[in-house]
Amino acid sequence: MDKINVLVVEDTPSESDALITSLEANNFNVVGLATNFKDAISLYNSTNPDVLIVDIFLNGLPEGINVAEVISVSIDNAKPFVFLTSSTDRQIFERAKLTKPFSYLLKPFNELELFYAIEMALEKFYEQKDVFLGDGEDTVITEDYLFIKKGRALKKVLIKDIIYIEVEDKYCNIITEKEKFVINISLVKISKLLNPNQFFRTHRRCIVNVEKVEQIILSDNLILLSGGLKADLSDNYREILQRVKTL
Amino acid sequence: MSAKFLFPLLLVCFSFKVISQDKPCTKEEIIESYCSSDKFHKAHTLVSSKKLEEAYVLINQLLDEADTNNDSQLRIYSLLLEADLHYQNKSFQKSLATYMKCLNSIQLNQDIKFYTLLNIGFINAFGLSDYEKGVDYFLRAQNLITDESCLTKKTLLYSALGHVNMISGKYSDSENYYLESLNLNLSNNQINEVAGIYNNLGNLYFEQYQDQKAKTFFLKALNTFKIKDSTNINLRQQFNYNLFAVNEALGNYKEAIGYLEKSNTLRDSIWNRDKVWEIADLSKKIALDKKENELRVLEAENKAKEAQRNAVFASALVLLALLGVSIYFYREKVKTNKIITSQNEELDKLNATKDKLFSIVSHDLRSSVNALKSSNRALVNNLETKNIEKLDELLNTNSSIVNGAYNLLDNLLNWAMLQTKQTYFHIEEHRLFTLVEHVVFNYQGLFAEKEIKFQNSVSKKDKILADQESLKIIIRNLMDNAIKFSQAKDSISVYSQVEDENYIQLVIEDSGLGMSETKRLELLKETSLLSKKENENIIGTGLGIQLCKSMIKKNNGKFSIESQLGKGTKMIVSLPKASENG
Repeated sequence: MDKINVLVVEDTPSESDALITSLEANNFNVVGLATNFKDAISLYNSTNPDVLIVDIFLNGLPEGINVAEVISVSIDNAKPFVFLTSSTDRQIFERAKLTKPFSYLLKPFNELELFYAIEMALEKFYEQKDVFLGDGEDTVITEDYLFIKKGRALKKVLIKDIIYIEVEDKYCNIITEKEKFVINISLVKISKLLNPNQFFRTHRRCIVNVEKVEQIILSDNLILLSGGLKADLSDNYREILQRVKTL
Repeated sequence: MSAKFLFPLLLVCFSFKVISQDKPCTKEEIIESYCSSDKFHKAHTLVSSKKLEEAYVLINQLLDEADTNNDSQLRIYSLLLEADLHYQNKSFQKSLATYMKCLNSIQLNQDIKFYTLLNIGFINAFGLSDYEKGVDYFLRAQNLITDESCLTKKTLLYSALGHVNMISGKYSDSENYYLESLNLNLSNNQINEVAGIYNNLGNLYFEQYQDQKAKTFFLKALNTFKIKDSTNINLRQQFNYNLFAVNEALGNYKEAIGYLEKSNTLRDSIWNRDKVWEIADLSKKIALDKKENELRVLEAENKAKEAQRNAVFASALVLLALLGVSIYFYREKVKTNKIITSQNEELDKLNATKDKLFSIVSHDLRSSVNALKSSNRALVNNLETKNIEKLDELLNTNSSIVNGAYNLLDNLLNWAMLQTKQTYFHIEEHRLFTLVEHVVFNYQGLFAEKEIKFQNSVSKKDKILADQESLKIIIRNLMDNAIKFSQAKDSISVYSQVEDENYIQLVIEDSGLGMSETKRLELLKETSLLSKKENENIIGTGLGIQLCKSMIKKNNGKFSIESQLGKGTKMIVSLPKASENG
């Protein structure tokens, strides 16, 4: 699991310091700090953050909204962001609202509110409502990552690192080359959100990353995966055979 | 020969006479009876009144009309008028030619033919002095005379024949015609005609130098008039003159002078009469003008009156409209006044509240800052004396004072924002538990310090509809209150319970001081501020509760308090439930 990359756009040093401190204390990875619009855009392009925290007012002007507008129009590389503001001035908010998805954090804020705002931003951006805040689930699945809530903080897992997923009742065991962990997500949802050309059901309780398949032994109904791992192949789930050369 | 000048007079005399008969008889009457159009009538009138030039233009137009419309009758009558016109203008040849044209017309009735022949005779005999021809035409006219022919025709014809014969010296023929005419007129009692014929006979005899006989006829003529008045004055003057002439010839100079004088007198009176008529005409004209003027004045007055009436009418309308408009505006004004009054009252109330608020807040802030000041002084003193143990305590005090002041200021700002509606307000779905957690997170230190047991047992499943920031402000204030009225080792718990299918209750319960019923009711009243300090060390402005109530209302929620003195307080906020699958 990796840390979440955060780009902070904030012009007041005391506030950015406090923000960065509390982010890093909770295992977020702050990839950069911008204090103006220009820096924000160049850092955004160079650091590939997972989420941005943007102060609306930069040097007395609502340039933060401009930052949000610029990143939300770059369709292929848009990222979730959180607005920071010290006032609930309606006009500013009306403008900020246009840069959907819209998540904001009112100063002064505590850590809980900060993480909540980041979670909200991710949920809204990837349109998977009520994941981190509800009882049931803790993972947002995107094209490249699984964002998993661990305690207060968030972690991410590169999807292509996953070897296979073992489904238990309401949760799943994610097995990568390096680690093995449990996420709370239903089978229905995970099979819907994962790329169907990459992940195949091989068994009632097993989803396999086709790229990690090393060998399928049909006689034994066994799939050999990278890292010496094995998965069962059921007769009912043989779609994967069309994608893998069988021996 | 003195008698010769009488002929024209006689002719004129005949044209004057008026004989009223049922059937048109004279030339005038015949023409008038035709009168096909106004134009023709006008032409006829113009000819009669000797306005020849104007008449000529009209007659020519009429002739053109007759030619284009092929109206032979109109042509004939127009020709008659033209001929008459020429005759009056003494253009005898032209007149004659016109009459001849007329005579050659096809559809000529007997009357017209008669008059045409007669007039041709007149022109030949008296205009061109061609007596033979004249007699010829008169005789042709006479052939048209029947027993039914009217008296005028006969009189005219016989007189003309008499005249022409007399002039051409055929005295006996002349006498016969005159006598026949006299006979006719006597039997019809035509006094003027009779007198005229006597006079003509007198002339006839006078021509023949039978002066005594002439005198007798002249006298007879004069005496025909039983009443001597203005109607026959011309004739009388003529007769007197003739009598003068005949007496002169007889050598009765005395008598002659008498008649001459008489004649002159009559001529004078004729002249006078004409003058009188002229004057009468003039005065009539003046009177007419006057009348016309009066009429005009009246008309003008009428117009003026009408205009005045219209003006009055218009102004009345305008006034009415104005009245309507002003009534409308008055009503509107009254309405707005009412609204303004109520608004004013409301504003006054609000202003009073605000003033009170200001005084309380400034008082509280002042005491806070003052406490901070003295605490700081103590801090400095302790620092000088290196009394390190005391420092920690003082710093904690300072921090709590600042916290209180900050909360107060925050509420004040939120209040202001709420009143001016400048703040972003957006109702969304939220998890109650999370929001409570967020707010409570800031109180962890305080709980520890005050040794308050805290528990958030709000269900994680409860989702409500509210504006995030305002709901946080509500929870923060209620928490502040709960902590404020709690003492060490008291407990505060926050939990949710389902009120009904539309509402979820958020309960903030403390085991603190509690409050009296009156205070509870006072807190729930709208726009009330508390300044009484029941609890010595506790600052209570009521601003927090007030803000809570306003914000709960704005979030479509409800607020209630349950409390028992000494046992604790339950602050209950009911919020709309978010739909299950929304």
